[in-house]
Amino acid sequence: MIPLNQQHEADVAVIGGGIAGLMAAIAAADKGASVVLLDKANTKRSGAGATGNDHFLCWIPEKHGDISVVYNEFMDSQNATSNDTPLVMRFLETSPKIVNMWNDWGINMKPTGDYHFEGHAYPGRPRIFLKYDGHNQKAVLTEQAKKRGVKILNHAPVLEMFRDAEGVTGVLALDASGDEPSFITVKAKAVVAATGYVSRLFTTDPTPSQMFNTNMCPSGTGDSIAQAWRIGTYLVNMEKTYRHAGPRFLARCGKATWIGVYRYPDGRPVGPFITKPNVETGDMTSDVWSSAFTDLKLSGRGPAYMDCSGASKEDLEHMRWAMKCEGLTALLDYMDKEGIDPGKHAVEFGQYEANLVTNGIEIDINGESNVRGLFAAGDMMGNISGDIGAAAVYGWIAGHHAADYRTRALGDISQESAEERMAFYSSIYERKVGASWQEANFALQQIMTEYADCGPHRVRSDTMLTAGIKYLGDLRKKIETQLYATDAHELMRAAEVVNLLDLGEALMISARERKESRGRHIRSDYTFTNPLLRDKFLRVWKEGDEVKTAWRDRLI
Amino acid sequence: MPPVINKEKCIHCGQCVDICPMDVFYGSKKGEFPIVRYPEECWHAEACALQCPVDAIDFRIPLTLIVPVKKLPHDAMS
Repeated sequence: MIPLNQQHEADVAVIGGGIAGLMAAIAAADKGASVVLLDKANTKRSGAGATGNDHFLCWIPEKHGDISVVYNEFMDSQNATSNDTPLVMRFLETSPKIVNMWNDWGINMKPTGDYHFEGHAYPGRPRIFLKYDGHNQKAVLTEQAKKRGVKILNHAPVLEMFRDAEGVTGVLALDASGDEPSFITVKAKAVVAATGYVSRLFTTDPTPSQMFNTNMCPSGTGDSIAQAWRIGTYLVNMEKTYRHAGPRFLARCGKATWIGVYRYPDGRPVGPFITKPNVETGDMTSDVWSSAFTDLKLSGRGPAYMDCSGASKEDLEHMRWAMKCEGLTALLDYMDKEGIDPGKHAVEFGQYEANLVTNGIEIDINGESNVRGLFAAGDMMGNISGDIGAAAVYGWIAGHHAADYRTRALGDISQESAEERMAFYSSIYERKVGASWQEANFALQQIMTEYADCGPHRVRSDTMLTAGIKYLGDLRKKIETQLYATDAHELMRAAEVVNLLDLGEALMISARERKESRGRHIRSDYTFTNPLLRDKFLRVWKEGDEVKTAWRDRLI
Repeated sequence: MPPVINKEKCIHCGQCVDICPMDVFYGSKKGEFPIVRYPEECWHAEACALQCPVDAIDFRIPLTLIVPVKKLPHDAMS
């Protein structure tokens, strides 16, 4: 049995030290709560914002005027179909305060000397993405958390959450910092789940041989969504899988950082928005019509190119600077080494595999789930999108309210549950022969991609999803009895696969229940878009071993 | 496979080992030359290179990750 070497107690435990997790920890500590934050890597460079970002969705009253200006643009942007309006309003109302806080702490929110909005925009319409320099954001937020006394445990991936009849009681984690794995428990009055964007659920497109070539951080595997699911937390919008777009073969986010036009091979623009590079808007085609890249490829009319050749020298220099802010260091290095000059070379763009973002834990206006004391923030919120901006702001909101639990008595982690889970993870480490985490992850990706992929040009159906759910169940039995790991690192990866399996099941059951086609969710047996389901969100959760689903109205 | 560490320059400080978001140097120790134990898990974040105090880390992007480009202008535009 892997030993239990550390037992902590805290008012608030935070799972994941990305943008949302660090902001939650900061807010909770500011309110006087004791906070333990656990990260599977090092908070200075972990998560989707690891090396930087350059767009922060927010409302700055002196620039936008009325908040409705930003709200209306936001609701016309990518992924906005999963937004509950009251949460969006809370996010936008709180955003100026957070932006100013970041600027005061040393994240440059005014790199041109003032608040300036550019990119991710339609021509002639208001712009809502603040251009900022986030290259140092993780180091700054880590320093702010430490200054407030937040106890940060790096290389400590959380394995399970626990609850009793009253609510959440704490977490079990793995100490993966040394040669031998050991367990950590944190008893907490409230927990903020913030493990981010979910990669590695579907076969990596365009590089099936490179599982870690993903547009977002490949260590992001939705761990705390799955952990919350296992203790009966409501998940929502799980069927609305997302597909990002970016440079072909070297998968990266940051498409709005490019100042150019998406073009057919003969030079015609792909989208309807711009005909020459526009630094203020970017080309919105990739945001709201990212299926175009796949359409072009599969119709033989492609490939599609990002063409920056009409941009001025100053705009190209600005783009290079912004790519550094966004943390696209590898891409810049690669282009420099290969002699690729965006002013002289068109770069092929494409769509990446399906991921989960804004598919996850359903929260209320304060960031709390249906399990008392369990909060969620960041890309894993199921009912509000908004990227870095929403992660920062809702992280802060969730931490602020989680701290209110500090006056409650500390609950107990059920010894029986903890021992059962410790025995399970120990069995993976003690097994000498079996399935590696890679083998199990690839097996899961095969099933997800074959039976539950999303559009364009891929369909779901009742029979395909029913088969997929059955095969996931078969795979689960094998994974539970065959998965093995030779060290703490591999055990961390093995636990990620266990979590991805749960998310795959929740996704397939939700997709089967949505009997219509909508956006990327294309059903071959219900090819129409049902107006009655336009503003309906699908909730999915576990009661014991049984999975339940229920529809609810989108909050307006 | 990435990252590639220069043995002459490396001072064995262990900072790359601790900072890597993917934990590819797992098992390497401060005071020793770092080993890329799990190269297939590299995301090319270059967090290690950004952290390295002596600029000892370079990257080799695998052939599978080449970025396809074409010289401009487009045919119809020339």
